[in-house]
Amino acid sequence: MTTSTDRPSNLIDRLYAYFDSPRRQMLLLVGIVLVLAIMPLFMGRYTTTIMTNALLYVVLALGLNIVVGYAGLLDLGYAAFFAVGAYSIGILTVQFDWNFWLAIPPALIAACMAGVIIGGPTLRLRSDYLAIVTLGFGEIVRFGARNLEITGRASGLSNIPEPNLFGYVINSYVDFYYVFLLLAVLAVIASHRLYHSRLGRAWLYVRHDEDAAEAMGINRVRVKLAAYVTGSVFGAIGGIFFSVNLGAISPESFSFEQSVLILMAVILGGMGKIHGVILGAFIIILGPELLRELGELRLLLFAVIMLLIMLMRPSGIWPERRH
Amino acid sequence: MTIRMTTLATAAALGIGLAGTAQADDHEILIGIQVPTTGSEATYGQDMFNAAELAAEEINAEGGVLGRELRLINGDSACDPQQSVNAASNLVSRDVLGIVGGYCSGATMPTLKTYGDEGLPFVITASNSTQLIPANPGNAFMINSTGADQSKKAADFFEAQGVERLVIIDQGDSYSQDLADLTAERWESMGNEVVRRETVNKGEQDFSAVVSNVRSSDADAVFWTAYYADGGLLIRQLRQGGYRGTIAVGDGSNSPQLFEIAGGAAEGVFAFSNPTADFLPAAADFIEDYQAEYGQDPGPYAPLNYDGMKLLAWAMEKAGTTDSAAVVDALATADGESWLTGPIRFTDENTLARSNFIILEGEDGAWSYYDNQ
Amino acid sequence: MPALETFLQAIVNGLVLGSFYALIALGYTMIFGVIKLLNFAHGDVYMVGAFVGFGALSLVSGVVGAGWTGLAIAVLISMIAVGFLGVVIQRVAYQPMLSAPRLSILITALAVSLVLQNGALSLTEGSYKAFRTDLGFGGFEFGRLFISHQAIVLVATAAVLMIALEFFVSRTMYGRAMRAVSIDKDMCRLLGINVNRVVAITFLIGSGLAAAAGTMAGAYYGSIWYFMGFLIGLKAFTAAVIGGIGSITGAMLGGLILGLLESFGTQIPFIGSEWKDVFTFAILILVLVFKPTGLLGKSEVERM
Repeated sequence: MTTSTDRPSNLIDRLYAYFDSPRRQMLLLVGIVLVLAIMPLFMGRYTTTIMTNALLYVVLALGLNIVVGYAGLLDLGYAAFFAVGAYSIGILTVQFDWNFWLAIPPALIAACMAGVIIGGPTLRLRSDYLAIVTLGFGEIVRFGARNLEITGRASGLSNIPEPNLFGYVINSYVDFYYVFLLLAVLAVIASHRLYHSRLGRAWLYVRHDEDAAEAMGINRVRVKLAAYVTGSVFGAIGGIFFSVNLGAISPESFSFEQSVLILMAVILGGMGKIHGVILGAFIIILGPELLRELGELRLLLFAVIMLLIMLMRPSGIWPERRH
Repeated sequence: MTIRMTTLATAAALGIGLAGTAQADDHEILIGIQVPTTGSEATYGQDMFNAAELAAEEINAEGGVLGRELRLINGDSACDPQQSVNAASNLVSRDVLGIVGGYCSGATMPTLKTYGDEGLPFVITASNSTQLIPANPGNAFMINSTGADQSKKAADFFEAQGVERLVIIDQGDSYSQDLADLTAERWESMGNEVVRRETVNKGEQDFSAVVSNVRSSDADAVFWTAYYADGGLLIRQLRQGGYRGTIAVGDGSNSPQLFEIAGGAAEGVFAFSNPTADFLPAAADFIEDYQAEYGQDPGPYAPLNYDGMKLLAWAMEKAGTTDSAAVVDALATADGESWLTGPIRFTDENTLARSNFIILEGEDGAWSYYDNQ
Repeated sequence: MPALETFLQAIVNGLVLGSFYALIALGYTMIFGVIKLLNFAHGDVYMVGAFVGFGALSLVSGVVGAGWTGLAIAVLISMIAVGFLGVVIQRVAYQPMLSAPRLSILITALAVSLVLQNGALSLTEGSYKAFRTDLGFGGFEFGRLFISHQAIVLVATAAVLMIALEFFVSRTMYGRAMRAVSIDKDMCRLLGINVNRVVAITFLIGSGLAAAAGTMAGAYYGSIWYFMGFLIGLKAFTAAVIGGIGSITGAMLGGLILGLLESFGTQIPFIGSEWKDVFTFAILILVLVFKPTGLLGKSEVERM
């Protein structure tokens, strides 16, 4: 992680300096949430749907950020955890007629298990090997979903029932907007608390110098595994609500491209920084919608920006100042 | 601050974007065309959009619908479930009064709910997976024959050809797997045997394993149920690998581009096809108009989308109003209305009440009409 | 059923597939050797090679036709052009990142891969291009066993390229320098070896080999598209890992082994061909977990 100098050199840095105090940050956060909370009153169906999508990506990107940004592990198959959450719900509610809320704990357990299964044996590997293993794992999950009977093979699962919350059926697009807004807020709070926890500091040490961290008594494999499992839980939560929101899931929603988009959100805003990652998620989703005529150039544009960011400003659009 | 400003700015821009275009005046009827105009299926999607546009222009030239002019809005589904939901909610937000289109079944599926919530009439012109049927809330109508019809056509064809050892190959996506399953089921119910089922992965270049499996199973017919791009490669490698039996392909592969990729290997290949313009007697004028307007030949799904547009306009006229429920009711009463692809009538499940499949054969680098049993 | 013919056919298929894997795996392993970078973009370099070869063939086919001569020229042009593209990628994207944290350089490599992939997507609008040649479908047939002329030429060309590379690495000055750099870069610098030039030559050769594979794959299979490098890149990487990453002989061996494994793997009755790729990825993960040094690689401590 690069640390910018203390001299506020440009507008963004100065803005950031202004919001450096925890109190102002809290006010900012509350302000944003309030604005987002009343937005559906003014937005049509389309804008609300897009914003819902952006909030989903906030959750996913914050989850991946724990793996990539906090622990410094490149995960190229993050969509797999997203898929585990979505398919667990799909299978339990559609194939076994479970209640949605009862299906959530098994879905989260499945995601943790997936995190341990893939992370356990591979986290000792070199970081680039790990990246490629996660990519392979992501593809295995997608192929599995596509070829297994229980996941509905290529057609996926449809008619996933809408969740019923104490008699209120969550089904309109506005309902789902608020569901994802709530999830995004929870994800932000969880990310923030994790970052400042003992574990968060352990991640920082491991990311900066594994050997030194190990010498300080940090069990690096266990610490990395914790990042992996936490990230997979975030992904699964996104997937769980994604599946009931769309009502139908199919393997193609969990492709490598999906993993790349989430990773781009993390990198564009700046790895490891909550506000940056949120910004990245919004750029990834709102950008193409605002510039519809971009069409196929969309991914190329993001890829070029991603490359330029890595070469010129590795800390992302919104840099972090650490004291 | 930046976040809030960005969010507000984007929200404002989205809002303005919508406000600027959503206001349809009373002289207009907005129709959403949901087709993939970007992504791997963009060629088909653009072509379908053009056909709908042509139909709308003809309708407008004759005074429009209920005295109002039709205006089309492109809802690019990109053949992707998530994007198609975004596009669909965009169309709904812009107050369209009906939707024509639907190409990739997987992308059409989740939009059934989006339109269903609003009860909007949705004429599905190309998507034909049987998976769509149970998910249809009642407002959608499928004017392409379903996989069930095609599988029947295919099984009858193989029987007529005296096929004994059939191999079915799909591409692991919902459309081709559906067609493969239905054909296998049908073929076995006729007392025959499917000697081997294969699935290839999209984007795979090397089909040597499939080719040797086909050869070692002594197949005398191969049925490819997926799309032309990989189908072309497969056909080429089957012939290159010494397979000489019958090859038939489903309606996803009836594109002229199959010949470009497969080259000479596509000669003598059979294709089951929805009625394409070339083989429709009623479509001569349509082909001419289409060429004049867009400078190219209409693609395989153009006639269906043209008919879909005409059908929706007909239903609005018949209902005497653009009220969604009335238009949906009117659609259900379609009784042999006919434009390019033949008479339209619906079953209780809102699917086309007859099979419109024809059989084509590859000849001198193009499709020729084989038989319509 | 004549099992022998099926068996031999699987070997032939495996050799063809293995030749492609090996040619691409060489690039991964050589580049990894000199700068310890997993070049994610390598599969896309193969894809670009196919498109450049396609363009070159359309240019020269007017003069020499689209037969063997035309294809040979197209392969050469593509090797040279894409070889230099590799050098440009190295200079622009990787050189400035060499001292950055490993995570940053990995992401940079991924970004390069995405730029190439989506650049091709935009230029071709995502459509498949038919790679037309006049090579014909001829071959030798022995019962169910069928060996096409194209397959023979392809395997032979790959073999010639690999022998030439082996010769270059073991006998020439730059080849020896390349091996030296992969062992200890700083020592090489002290000894007066121009490390930057050696790295550039490595990218030139690695990318050129991938381009040759791309052009030949286009001609052999008949169509090309922007995403063709993704899966095969991943598989070639698997091949490099099986052989032991960093080892040139290992990459060749790994390519052939993976080609044969895949070819035989799909003959196992209850594993349908739809599981073929899962099979490959499972091998990759198992090798990485249980024998990360592969067959011929040396163990090494990661430097962060």
